[in-house]
Amino acid sequence: MASHPLALDPRTKLFMLLLANLLLFFHVHTHTEIMLVALTLLPMLPAGRWRMALRLGVTYAVLVAVSYLVPADSPNPWLHLLALLAVGLRMMMPCFITGAYAFSTTRTSEFVCAMRRMHVPETIVIPCMVVIRFFPTIVQDYRQIRAAMALRGVAEGRFALVRHPMQSLEYVLVPLMMNAANVAQDLSVAALTKGLGRPGTHTSLTMIRMRPLDWLTMIVCATPLVLDIIGVL
Amino acid sequence: MTQQDNATTASTNATKTKGTTAARSGRLSVPDLITIGVFTALYFVLVAVATLISTVAFVGFASIFLPAIAALISGCVYMLLATKVGKFGAITVMGAVIGLFLFVSGHFVLSFIASIVFPVIADLIARAGAYRNRAGLLASYVVFSYGLTGPILPLWFMKDAYVASLQARGKDAAYIDGVFSHINTGTFVISMVAIAMCALVGGWFGQRVLRRHFVKAGIV
Amino acid sequence: MTDDTNDIMNDAVETTAIETSRVTFRYGSGGDGAARDEPTRHTALHDVSLRIRPGECVVLCGRSGCGKTSYTRLVNGLIPTFFTGELTGTHHTADLASGSPVDAFTPIVGSVFQNPKTQYFNADTTSELAFPCENMGMPADEIRRRMAETVRRFGIEPLLNRSVFRLSGGQKQRLAVAAATMLRPPIMVLDEPTGNLDARSIDELHDMIARLKESGTTVLIAEHRLAWCRDLADRFVVFEHGRVIGNYPARDFLVLSPETIMSMGLRALDIRPYRAVVEAKRQTSDSLHRRDDETASAPALRTRMLRIGYGRRPHGFRPFGTRPKPGDFLRDVPDLTLRAGRITALMGGNGTGKSTLVRTLCGLLRPIGGSILWNGRPVKAHALTRKAFLVMQDVNYQLFTDSVREELMLGLDENDPAVGKRCERLLRDLDLETLADRHPMSLSGGEKQRTAIASALMCGKELIVLDEPTSGLDRFHMRQVGLLLQRLKRAGRIVVVVTHDEELAADWCDDVIDLDPVETSSSI
Repeated sequence: MASHPLALDPRTKLFMLLLANLLLFFHVHTHTEIMLVALTLLPMLPAGRWRMALRLGVTYAVLVAVSYLVPADSPNPWLHLLALLAVGLRMMMPCFITGAYAFSTTRTSEFVCAMRRMHVPETIVIPCMVVIRFFPTIVQDYRQIRAAMALRGVAEGRFALVRHPMQSLEYVLVPLMMNAANVAQDLSVAALTKGLGRPGTHTSLTMIRMRPLDWLTMIVCATPLVLDIIGVL
Repeated sequence: MTQQDNATTASTNATKTKGTTAARSGRLSVPDLITIGVFTALYFVLVAVATLISTVAFVGFASIFLPAIAALISGCVYMLLATKVGKFGAITVMGAVIGLFLFVSGHFVLSFIASIVFPVIADLIARAGAYRNRAGLLASYVVFSYGLTGPILPLWFMKDAYVASLQARGKDAAYIDGVFSHINTGTFVISMVAIAMCALVGGWFGQRVLRRHFVKAGIV
Repeated sequence: MTDDTNDIMNDAVETTAIETSRVTFRYGSGGDGAARDEPTRHTALHDVSLRIRPGECVVLCGRSGCGKTSYTRLVNGLIPTFFTGELTGTHHTADLASGSPVDAFTPIVGSVFQNPKTQYFNADTTSELAFPCENMGMPADEIRRRMAETVRRFGIEPLLNRSVFRLSGGQKQRLAVAAATMLRPPIMVLDEPTGNLDARSIDELHDMIARLKESGTTVLIAEHRLAWCRDLADRFVVFEHGRVIGNYPARDFLVLSPETIMSMGLRALDIRPYRAVVEAKRQTSDSLHRRDDETASAPALRTRMLRIGYGRRPHGFRPFGTRPKPGDFLRDVPDLTLRAGRITALMGGNGTGKSTLVRTLCGLLRPIGGSILWNGRPVKAHALTRKAFLVMQDVNYQLFTDSVREELMLGLDENDPAVGKRCERLLRDLDLETLADRHPMSLSGGEKQRTAIASALMCGKELIVLDEPTSGLDRFHMRQVGLLLQRLKRAGRIVVVVTHDEELAADWCDDVIDLDPVETSSSI
């Protein structure tokens, strides 16, 4: 299972997420932000996510444009509101972009392996594995429940959920939670018999390794931020 | 194998069984962690639904009322998890996992901290009532609901940044204050009070569902 | 090639793989596991003594709740550590005494469970195979080597690197067996592994187990469907009310009369007579469907040139008609006529679109082409939803309220005395009277099924479809479902049963429709 030669280690992705967050902490200049956004969009391309990169890149560009185009001395408060919104969303974009990248290019096994390498306790690792495992089940269950509700004429139609919100919530949630309780037991049995609870090191089939490319990416991405903070940029 | 052997092994079996029962009341076991995972996934889906609702209802400033709406609809899940596991740590772990997923999916890192601190307090409150006391659980749910305020926090940074950019472009402070007078502390207070109100309603609803369905069906 | 620990293990247990002597077990109240199981409070195992030799293949059989599942749990260590309770007597799996932590059993016993949907822990197949090895702390190279070996051994290359959610039930079950053998355990335990598989998947599972047996693995199968494992078994152990009431070498058991087998609550040893009946019914019903008598008096549901399918999103917007996309399913259905007062079995392997067809007939999916006629008039999907009811395979999804009576009254006017009277009558008719105030989720599977059907009859549904109503049921419970079908038939409903169960189709259904494999179009 050789990974793509240009794929990044999950820990590098985590580092990039942290960097994107630091952008928010330190009020960096917009040009630093633009540089970092461009840098974080790049690794999406070898991962085959060029469509995603394009969409996010264009969104970011539009937001930058809006935040610059609104004249600062406009007396119209709504225009300010729009600009504020644009600035706000723009500032969130680096986080969203790195988040989207990390989420869409990391396999569950890599994520789990990275967590274990970083000595995250099993108390956190196991629920995380279960969350990922259980999401699709929730979607399937929800469809079944909606079908069952339609057959019973319960909360029929598009607007029924809006008209009787609490009642509908109960009808949907109770079967979902009943099933969840059952699944929790079955998964426990499956996991216990396969030794999930065994003490000692748990290895991983998936290899994750920090390669020169990872270090390079980390340094290149950190540079604009550092330069901005020390006032060079 | 002699009869005596049988007897001794039987008695060790009995004590072993007792041993695991004792273990159950202490640390979180693998089945507990799996239960937590399953219900955290449900909670996470409800948060996504809440995001959808608040986006539709309050375009743009969606995240301000996200915690309140999430609090309104997730009471059942919280109450069932807290009652079913009934050990210290379940609520904390749920919060931590949610924080982790929020962070990895590109939310602000402070949301991670909020979603650990508030659940820990909530866990302590629930433990004081031995995960049985209804008022205690309700109070703990209200506190827990503030754990989701993390995603709102960047709004403050945004405002600061915008104010800074206006200042940089030569506007005076009085003018800027005027612009933001109505989207300031007022909104903040409203959104925080809304969380408490919604959490009370959601938690009460959750406890009602728990009694009517899960206690009656013998699940907890 | 087994690793050293296993070799030592094999040496130690040359004469007995499993030894149970005078074990009695009673589930504790409210434990992690006990809550959901039907046989909670009574004694699950009663004075059970058994000795199983290495390499033996033993089938544990008996009606549901007889203790066979509990015995498998004793063998893989879940009893008494996970499913807690009172245990007396001694039990050893290899050299492990029961009461040892479940983890200790991991390298010795591989376990396969009944429900294919909930017995995998990872979302992708490769991780699921690696999972037990990872937990044992094996280096990645070793895991890879074993995986290659397992894949070769069972021929499951096509299953690798896939999302488990995209696999069929049969594929999931094969994956479960493969994953359970990754540690090369000397003992394998399978708890009703064929619960809801079609004939082909059962054959594939059979071949995997045959291979395990060849390699000298001790195999325990808890099962009441005996036909598929008759040639694998060396011994049949019959349980009843927690006791072992019979311990037969295979050659003695296989000559027992069908009546004896039935009286033990077991499914037929030989499925061929049933298969013949099904085939005969299929041929006569074929002719029945070709005869086009529009004037027949009984209300009927007909399909004309029906084309069914779904996209990735079941109700997705399709501006460009019916062009299938990857992940879509599409097929044409031969014209059908379903009549009131007849029970029609809808058969055919997995992936032939049986579920899609009944969902379309119930109005849950819109037909892609063709039409559905109700008494000769075309009906729209939403009108069908009002006339039809589908008893889902997992009936838990369709029970919403907190008592059986409420469930029947849901959506109806509770103050109307006529409605109340009808509700009481239905409760009586379906033997639900004593359960009327219980929470539906606290009922047994069959009781839940009856509650769902009662709720359908309350709303005056005319078409009742049951999706795999007998999956995992023993002889006795299958008969109960059969009787229920007959009752619906007498009440003049159109009854459709989606099933793989040849015994049910042969004994209780009037017509058999075999949906042939898809030829006309794509399914990816």
